Amino acid sequence: MAFTRRGFVQTVGLGSAAALTGSWIGARGRENALWSAFEPTLQAVEPGLICLSSNENPLGPGKVVMKAVRNAFGEGGRLPGRYSGTSDDLIDAIAKKFSVKRENVVLGCGSTQILRTATHLFTAKDKALVGTIPTYEECAGYAEMMGHPVRPVALDAEFRMDLDKIADAAKGAGLIFYCNPNNPTATYVGAKATRAFLTKVNRESPDTTILVDEAYFDYVTDPDHDTHVPVAIENPRVIVARTFSKAYGMAGLRLGYAIGHADTITKMKEWDAGSGTSSLNVLALHAGLAAIEQDASFTAAERARNTAARDFTLKWFADRGMKPTASQANFMFVDIGRPAKEFREACRAKGVLVARDFPPFEKTHCRLSFGTIDEMKKAVAVFGEVLGKKAATAA
Amino acid sequence: MLQSRRDFLGVLNGGRAGFDAGEWLAARGHEDFQAQAAQGRRPRVELPPGVKAVKINSNENPLGPGKAALDAITRKFPEAGRYPFNSTPGDGQLVAAIATKFNAKPENVVMGAGSQEILKSAVRAYTSPTKALVTASPSFENCPGVAKKLGHPVVAVNVDSAFRLDLNAMADAAKGAGLVFLNNPNNPTATVHGAKAISDFVERVRTSSPGTVILIDEAYHDYVTDPAYQSAVPMALSTPNVFVARTFSKAYGMAGMRVGYAIGQVDTVKAMARLRMPYNISVFGIAAALAALNDSQHLEQERARNTEVRAFTVKALEGLGCKCTESQGNFLFVDIGRPAAELRDACAKQGVLVGRDFPPFEKTHARISIGTLDEMKRATAVFRSVLRPVTTTAGR
Repeated sequence: MAFTRRGFVQTVGLGSAAALTGSWIGARGRENALWSAFEPTLQAVEPGLICLSSNENPLGPGKVVMKAVRNAFGEGGRLPGRYSGTSDDLIDAIAKKFSVKRENVVLGCGSTQILRTATHLFTAKDKALVGTIPTYEECAGYAEMMGHPVRPVALDAEFRMDLDKIADAAKGAGLIFYCNPNNPTATYVGAKATRAFLTKVNRESPDTTILVDEAYFDYVTDPDHDTHVPVAIENPRVIVARTFSKAYGMAGLRLGYAIGHADTITKMKEWDAGSGTSSLNVLALHAGLAAIEQDASFTAAERARNTAARDFTLKWFADRGMKPTASQANFMFVDIGRPAKEFREACRAKGVLVARDFPPFEKTHCRLSFGTIDEMKKAVAVFGEVLGKKAATAA
Repeated sequence: MLQSRRDFLGVLNGGRAGFDAGEWLAARGHEDFQAQAAQGRRPRVELPPGVKAVKINSNENPLGPGKAALDAITRKFPEAGRYPFNSTPGDGQLVAAIATKFNAKPENVVMGAGSQEILKSAVRAYTSPTKALVTASPSFENCPGVAKKLGHPVVAVNVDSAFRLDLNAMADAAKGAGLVFLNNPNNPTATVHGAKAISDFVERVRTSSPGTVILIDEAYHDYVTDPAYQSAVPMALSTPNVFVARTFSKAYGMAGMRVGYAIGQVDTVKAMARLRMPYNISVFGIAAALAALNDSQHLEQERARNTEVRAFTVKALEGLGCKCTESQGNFLFVDIGRPAAELRDACAKQGVLVGRDFPPFEKTHARISIGTLDEMKRATAVFRSVLRPVTTTAGR
C-alpha cells in the first residue's frame, strides 16, 4: 500500500532499461498535481508571473467559447445548480468534425480521464504498459500504482520515439502510450511512419492496444501530418486521445475525449460504469461545443501564433549554442547544460516558471512552454541572465 | 437575493439574459441520465411547446449557486486556459479550506468530480469478487451499479417499514463485506438517522467485521433539520475504515460544477486518491467551491427555503391522501398509490418532471424533489389533477 512508485518500477527490471525506469516518474506527475494527495501541490501562479510550465495556450479559449460559458449560466445564474445532463450534442459535434459516428466518441474530464481509463482497461499484472522515456507520466503512474509492469523505451539520438524499439517492447504488452508530438521532448513522428508503426504492432502483437495521444496535434507544422482517427475507428486496438486543454485553450475547464472503434469505446464507457456526464461540468460541455463548432481559423491562428513564438525561442537558444530538439508542439526541450531544477529555481526568482524535471534528462534538459511573443521576449531576457552565469552544478 | 442575481447576470450578459442554452443539457438531471443510459435510452424529454419545465427529478438546488460563488466563477474567466493547479486559488487551496472546515489535514481530503467519483472509486477499491458491497434498498444506485459492472457481489438490505435504513440488518450483512454504503439522509427515502444510531452501527461493524469499510454519504447533510442528527465526519477522522462523502451538488447549488470529496483517515481515503482523475476539478469549480465554503449565509438561506417549501409540499400531498416519509432531504418519498411511471408520464405532459423508479417501491411510491415555492405551487396543482381519484383511466 505504501506509495513507492520508484520502488515498484525498479522491481519491474528490464535489463539495461531498468536504470532508466527508476526515474521515469520520479518527478511530478502530468502537469504537476497528479498525486497531490501525497505530494505538495505547486503554488498557484501568482499574478505577474510568466507561466511557461504547463504547455497551456496563453490566450485561453477566446471570445466565442467564453460567450458560450456565459450563456451556460442560464436564467438567474441558476443553471450550474443543475446536473450536467446529457452530453449528446457535444458528442454529435465531435463525431461530425471527424466524420465518425457517435458510438466512436467518449468524453473525459480532460484527456486525463481517457488515459486513466485506458490504462486500467488495457494493462494488467501480465500486460505491460509500454512507452518512451521520457513521456507524459500519467499512464505509467497509473500502471505502477496498480502493480502493472511498465516497459520504458529509450528515445533515439534526436529525442524522437524509437518506433522499432517500441514495437519490440510491445510484444505481448497490454498498452502502448504513444504521445505524438511527445511531451516533454516536443519531437514528432510523421503520419506515414506512425501508420506503418500501428500496422506493425497490430501484426506482431495483435492483442496490444495503442493509445495515440494527439494532445498537441494542432501545433504541428510538419507537412507529413495527419490524425490517426481513421485508423482508430476501424481498428479496435487503436484509440486516439484528444483534449481541449491545449490549442483550444481550455485547460481550466477539464474536457477531453477519445475516438476509437465502437467496441473499444463501449468498453471504456463501461469501465467508467456508464456514468455519462458525471465527471463533466456543465460549463465545460457548453464551452466544448462552442469550441469545436468554430471554424478552423481558430486553431490556425493559434498555430500561427505559437509557430512564431516557437521560431523566436528556438533561435534564441540555438544562437547561444544550446540545442533544442525539433519542436512540433507548444513547448520545447532544450539542453541547457545544467540541472533543470537549478534553472527552474533561478527563473522562478525572476518571475518565469518553467517545467518540472523529466528524468532521465533532468540534469541537462529543461522543458519550457511557449507563451505569447511578448512573454517570450521577457522570458529570454531572464534566461539570458540565468544561463549567462556559470552553472552551480557541473552537468 | 433576486436583485443581486440580476446584477450578476447584468455583468455576465451585458444587461440581457442570454438564451437558456442549458435547457438542452439540463432537461433531465444527471441522476436520470444515468438511470436511463443504463436502460439504453437516450435521455431527452419532450415538453409541450412553450412549456418551461419544473425540474423536480434530480434533488438539485433550484436556485443554483449563491452570488458569491457565481462572482467567483466570473472572476476566474481569465484563467480558463490555466490548469487547475496553476489557477489562483489553486486546487490545493480548496483541499486546505475543506480540511480547515473540519479541523482536519489536507491529506484527509480527496477531491472528486462530484462525490460520484468518490463513490465509484470506493467500490473499485474496497469491493472484489469475494468482498461484497452492502447497500440499502432503495438507496442511491451509483455504488451497486458500479459493483455490478465489476461483477462484485451486492447485498441490498430492504429499508424498514418506516422507509428508514435497517441498520441492524445492514450490520449483519456487513460481516465479511468489503464496503457498506450508508446514505444519510437516504436517497430516495429521505429519512435520516441520528448520531447515536450511526455511531452504534459503526461500532458494531467495527467489532464484528473490522476489515469492512463504511462509506457514509452525507450528500444531503445541509438539509437536515432533525436535532438528533450530526455529521459523521469527526467520527471518520478518528476511526479507521470509515469515511464520509460530501458534495457541493445539493445545498451549495453546484451540481453542474462537479465538486465533491471524501474525508476520513489517510489510510482510508488514500484508496480514492490513488484512483482519482488528475485535476478533476475545473478552475471554475475550485473558485466556486471556495467562495461557497465562506458563504454560510447562503447555506442557511437555502436550508430555510427548503424547509419551508418541503413543509408546503408535504402538506399539499397529504391533502391529496398521499403519505410522505419523514423527509430530511430536499426531496420527498411519497406513497401515490399507483406506479411512479404513471405519475411521471402524466406530470411530464404538463411540464413537471419527477423522479425515476425506485424499486422495490416503483409501483406505489414516487420521489419528488423540492423546487422553489412557485415551482412547487405549480407542481402540486399538477399533482392534484393527476392524482385525483379516478374510476377509469380511459379519459385521461
